[in-house]
Amino acid sequence: MIDLSVQIGPLTLKNPVMTASGTFGYADEFVDFCDLNEIGGIITKTVTPQPRAGNAPRRIVELPYGMLNSIGLPNVGIENFILEKMPFLQTLKTHIFINVAGTDEEGFAYCVCRLEDVAGISGYELNYSCPNVKHGTSFSSDARIAERVTRNVRKVTARPVIVKLTPNVTSIAEIGRACENGGADAVSAINTVVGMSVDIKTRKPRLSTIIGGYSGPAIKPIALAKVFELAQNLSIPVIAIGGIACAGDALEFLVAGATAFQVGTVNFHEPNATMKIKKDLEFYCQKNNIVKLMDIVGSIQL
Amino acid sequence: MSPEILHHATVRSIEQVARDTYLICSVDEQVSCNARAGQFLEIKVPHCAEILWRRPFSIHNTQPQKHTFDILFQTIGQGTHRLAHLAPDSELDILGPLGNHFYYEREMREAIVVAGGLGIAPFMLMMRELAQRRIPMQLFYGVGSSDQFCCLPLFEKYATLHLSTIDGSLGHQGLVTDLLSDYLDRNSDNHGKSLFVCGPTPMLHKVKEIAACHTIAAQASVETVMACGFGACVGCAVPMTNPVAGQKEYFLACKDGPVFDMREIVIDD
Repeated sequence: MIDLSVQIGPLTLKNPVMTASGTFGYADEFVDFCDLNEIGGIITKTVTPQPRAGNAPRRIVELPYGMLNSIGLPNVGIENFILEKMPFLQTLKTHIFINVAGTDEEGFAYCVCRLEDVAGISGYELNYSCPNVKHGTSFSSDARIAERVTRNVRKVTARPVIVKLTPNVTSIAEIGRACENGGADAVSAINTVVGMSVDIKTRKPRLSTIIGGYSGPAIKPIALAKVFELAQNLSIPVIAIGGIACAGDALEFLVAGATAFQVGTVNFHEPNATMKIKKDLEFYCQKNNIVKLMDIVGSIQL
Repeated sequence: MSPEILHHATVRSIEQVARDTYLICSVDEQVSCNARAGQFLEIKVPHCAEILWRRPFSIHNTQPQKHTFDILFQTIGQGTHRLAHLAPDSELDILGPLGNHFYYEREMREAIVVAGGLGIAPFMLMMRELAQRRIPMQLFYGVGSSDQFCCLPLFEKYATLHLSTIDGSLGHQGLVTDLLSDYLDRNSDNHGKSLFVCGPTPMLHKVKEIAACHTIAAQASVETVMACGFGACVGCAVPMTNPVAGQKEYFLACKDGPVFDMREIVIDD
């Protein structure tokens, strides 16, 4: 029997396969494609204190090996989220992490506070790093702010807190350390890479907001470098995100030091990708006589 | 979990039916027997790692007795070119049927169908559905040049044709919306008329104006870019006519549509 379980702070995930916020809705969109209970951890689409309509179209652009998005965090707001989205999530037998964002520093702790009495939540992921909202990345590009916001959230919850980091900074390790100092149980990286696309016929930017976030297989090498840097510098677990589309991709991150990983953009075109990746991780372990997947975490030979 | 939505179909035949326009007939019982007019499929571009997104296609027609369905598409980019060159018996990785479908009023006495270019795609299935209900149909169909018309003999079996081309090579020279305006001006009793439209955005804009002017209920099948087709990417936003400011300002073409009551959506001119 192969043990795929991994440890994130006080939590044991049955396997390291998680879903990246904003690519898996509130999970109910995927019931036709996945056995949701087989996923190690589900991270919801971002919830904010107030409802948000999202950005004007055009919101997405396809590029070779990747895509640009500027969705703008549309969501029903924390109160409606609890009423409309939590009942389904509460039926699932896996770890549910609610991804929250505030438009100001207090917004994060406000959302977490509001969710504290709600059952069926394993932890939170703080979205410090959305490039598509005003002030979206300021929480994770200034180490002092990142530490302060994390500490304020830490004060209001005993549940595990993951901080999602942007790669669009000079030193991701510095921000990661600040989050660790603020009391984060783990960091997840990377959020999307700031990007842009221009239509040469009209000479207009393709996205309504001009710039957006670049994701997909194209950003995997960038993500791998950032995850490696974080794993080398932090003592809390690093959860990898960035272009993971198959078990081989995921294994690269685990070897580089990630404890778990999130499957993102691929969910859009291969909605059963999480299932396939989990199965292929098992095959890999079988073939290579690995009894406990955790043993390969950080096993990189330098 | 219902595994039918994500599955494989087998290509039976591929035929060029107009300039840069192909019809793929594939075997798949689930799509063939369950699809409704207006719904779409998301099809994976085979053997091409750099193209991530599936391509959305209207379901053009179905043959439930044979368990087959057709999609009609134009070769525009690399993805559609690859699909056009699939060999018979190839597997198609499909997701669907997805989205809502055209809605037929019980009181409908005449269907007015307006198609621009490849906007004709969803209407073969619709006409078959309406023929079963014995609804008289008018088809207003405009393209750039006559070699772009698709399946005219078959459409003629169901509907009275009103054709236009930009270059005047067949039918009225000009826009199909000119023909639509003339027809509605000449037949001013709008009772029981329902309008259905699919095509380029400027055409939708004009048809919305004409429908409002004649107080005819109109449904449009809209086309947007979409990364997933089932509500996860939230990329296919369509502006609402009556938004709740800051809360709900957009529909999703994939889940709320692709068919919308034209009064409910904003169509840029």
